[in-house]
Amino acid sequence: MSLTQFSKLFLNLDSSNSINEKLEILKNYFSIKNDLENSWSIYLLTGKKNKRFISGRSLKKIFSDIYEFPLWLIDTCYLKVGDSAEVITLLLENKNIKKKKLLQEISLDELLNKILPELVVLNEDEKKLRVKKIWENLPKENLLIFNKILTGTFRVGVSTGLITKSIANLINLDEAIISHRLMGNFVPSAKSYKFLINEKIVLEELNYKPYPFLLASTFEKKVSEESISNFQFEWKWDGIRIQLIKRSGKVSLWTRGEDLVNKSFPELVEKTFFIKDDFVIDGELLVWNFKEELPMNFSLLQKRINRKSPSKLIQNNLPIIFIAYDLIELKGKDERDLDLKNRRIKLEKNLHKWINESEEDISKIFKISNLLFPKTWKEAENLKNKSRDNATEGLVIKKKNSLYTSGRKKGTWWKYKVDPMQLDAVLIYAKAGSGKRAGLYTDYSFALWNDGKLIKFASAYSGLNNTEITELDKWIRKNTVERFGPVRSVRPEMVFEISFENIQISNRNKAGISVRFPRITKWRKDKNIKDADTLENAKKLMTNKL
Amino acid sequence: MIKENTDLIKYSNKGLYCEIADIWIDPHKPVKKALITHAHMDHFTLGCEEYISTYETSIILKERIGSEINIKTFDYGKEFKINGINISFHPSGHILGSSQIKFKFAGEAWLITGDFKRQKDDTCREFEKVKTDYLISESTFGLPIFKWKEPQEIAVDISKWVNSTPDKTSILFCYSLGKAQRLLNEINKANFKNNIYTHSSIYKMNNCYRKLGINIVSTKKFDKTQNIEELKGSLILLPPGLNKGSYLKNSKDIQTSFASGWMTIRALRKRSGYDKGFAISDHADWGGILKTIKESEAKNVFFHHGDSEALNRYINEKESINVLHFDSKK
Repeated sequence: MSLTQFSKLFLNLDSSNSINEKLEILKNYFSIKNDLENSWSIYLLTGKKNKRFISGRSLKKIFSDIYEFPLWLIDTCYLKVGDSAEVITLLLENKNIKKKKLLQEISLDELLNKILPELVVLNEDEKKLRVKKIWENLPKENLLIFNKILTGTFRVGVSTGLITKSIANLINLDEAIISHRLMGNFVPSAKSYKFLINEKIVLEELNYKPYPFLLASTFEKKVSEESISNFQFEWKWDGIRIQLIKRSGKVSLWTRGEDLVNKSFPELVEKTFFIKDDFVIDGELLVWNFKEELPMNFSLLQKRINRKSPSKLIQNNLPIIFIAYDLIELKGKDERDLDLKNRRIKLEKNLHKWINESEEDISKIFKISNLLFPKTWKEAENLKNKSRDNATEGLVIKKKNSLYTSGRKKGTWWKYKVDPMQLDAVLIYAKAGSGKRAGLYTDYSFALWNDGKLIKFASAYSGLNNTEITELDKWIRKNTVERFGPVRSVRPEMVFEISFENIQISNRNKAGISVRFPRITKWRKDKNIKDADTLENAKKLMTNKL
Repeated sequence: MIKENTDLIKYSNKGLYCEIADIWIDPHKPVKKALITHAHMDHFTLGCEEYISTYETSIILKERIGSEINIKTFDYGKEFKINGINISFHPSGHILGSSQIKFKFAGEAWLITGDFKRQKDDTCREFEKVKTDYLISESTFGLPIFKWKEPQEIAVDISKWVNSTPDKTSILFCYSLGKAQRLLNEINKANFKNNIYTHSSIYKMNNCYRKLGINIVSTKKFDKTQNIEELKGSLILLPPGLNKGSYLKNSKDIQTSFASGWMTIRALRKRSGYDKGFAISDHADWGGILKTIKESEAKNVFFHHGDSEALNRYINEKESINVLHFDSKK
């Protein structure tokens, strides 16, 4: 196993569009027994947060310095390619470097554990020389992967699910086990890989690991053909999903993105210690306005996530609560095979007990997700439509007899989201995309009217289909007014319906408002720019909410 | 720098134009007299009163459009005079019959390279180095990220790609004229033994090439009534236009690829929706363009086709060659 083999794996995966084929490729790759290399491969393939040893910018700068190659030309190439590592690889191929191939058999472990960590601590000039040396000694087929790993941008079109499946297939173990073992921080080592493929299942080994989350699917009309009494209804909170784990005297808070966030919320960790029993609870973390009994805006929650070890002052100003909605492990016993109805009974009973028997008041921070009881589907719809009144995003509808399965399995939990807010806005700027959308103008900025002027209010990247993207790209090129580097201002002519989840005051921009998760929902070719919405219309949406 | 209207060749909304000779080069709209660099359809428009090209180009054109046109032909290197201007065709290495066009007038030479490449290609005459004072060239692939591999390497890749999945039918999309014949020639040299089918448009061009003395390996004609799934292990060459719509929608067990210089870029490969991309082009790469400019010894260069900003700036800064722009208002 080596960088060369990993490069080949990348090439094979990258040139296959079939899931089955990719599965076979992965199985073949992992069937070679090299625990250490396999563990690094998993680290790279599942890499949500692969370490960045050098920024894309520095990489371009290094190439420019070494080969006396104009930086502006590299930037121009970048606009077409959309990936710094790839641009530099292509440019290196054009350099015709005489290869010595000294690093032919370099292993992933050597690279990631030795060569790169050693590189990072060098000063700029030494770093340059070291990178040059590696470039000149690495076989040309490995350059792309090397540059991608170096810049922490290695990515390939396989999901963690597929990797889980390939390993589960290989050793004939249930996917759920592998997926559980892969949760949390996967630290690459021979040991961690051995643990991953261990055929014996020892529960304690999974001690600090969260369970794979049960994910809700988008509500479908056909759900309402079933009797409403088969379902449990709750608000869909706009916070962060958390698995709160207390096992053998340790507390861990895991997000859905598998980040450990104990440090951001020390008060929750502290209060959890007052609970006697061990457990795993699935719930939502929110910043809470105790006066109004409403969650505060999501942006304030973001402030809390980003702040490690927040001061007492911040803890007071932005107080958090944990809303529990599912009990998936109790006193070391996995409860996921119990149906929701009974899990809920256990949750209510125990939470109540814990709050009562705790010496410290933990009732403020621990809440239970209240159930709603619509009698008809029409009532459920009305509830959903009113969800903005209590700052929630809609309803979560859970099948009472469902088990806590992993991933997005249809038919267990449904999210029934309130319709988005919408405004018609005018396209005023466009910027070339990166990655898959390199060389196409796909990052758009939209404006609303204010006193006869168009004021930028949101940027959106998604929502158009490929045909529309190509059409709009052509239009943008033809209707460019000015160019500022990669950005073009365009003739104000095109109107788009922009949907978003929330709107709030912001002093960071000219419009004075900011919207959450804006996306394009319609290209309003039927509309003239005069018909676009005004900033005043936008602000009205805000007052309606309160 | 904007040149005054004294230029021998200008750019207008119909294409490149030489006023003194009153002749257009590859016009996109019908004109009286047109010089045609090569037989690709984006360089040709119907309805001109008179065309002038190489013999090969005239034969291919007639075959493609299927109707009579008034076309006069001249051999490579042979000078002819129009209104006192000496004009001659020179091989450009793009496809069979393709040419650069040289104009000589009042002691000054102007050269239009047309589409050209510097790589070897057995199916057409090799690019001829021509010296000139003014050079009008193309910059389709005018960025240093483009550097073509040897065509034999690509041929081996294609062969490997087909043979790695014998349980699938391999479909290679490529332009019917030029690229298809070049690929057939290269994979034949690389000892490709599987069955090859070609779409009627490619089949027709193969015959045309053979008529003009170019040896093209024999292929079976592919037509829509054939069941693609029964051709497992074979290679089918189709024009890219057929990748859209319903042509292949219901076919299982196929793998697709596209042969084009643009396939160098991963994002374009991914976006194009083909399973695989082979980066092979009949245009010059960055190195090829720079080499051509240098060898031409031109002191003044114009570019059209493609985004030439980067190329302009680079040769101006690095090579100190004067880059001129066509006055687009004229």
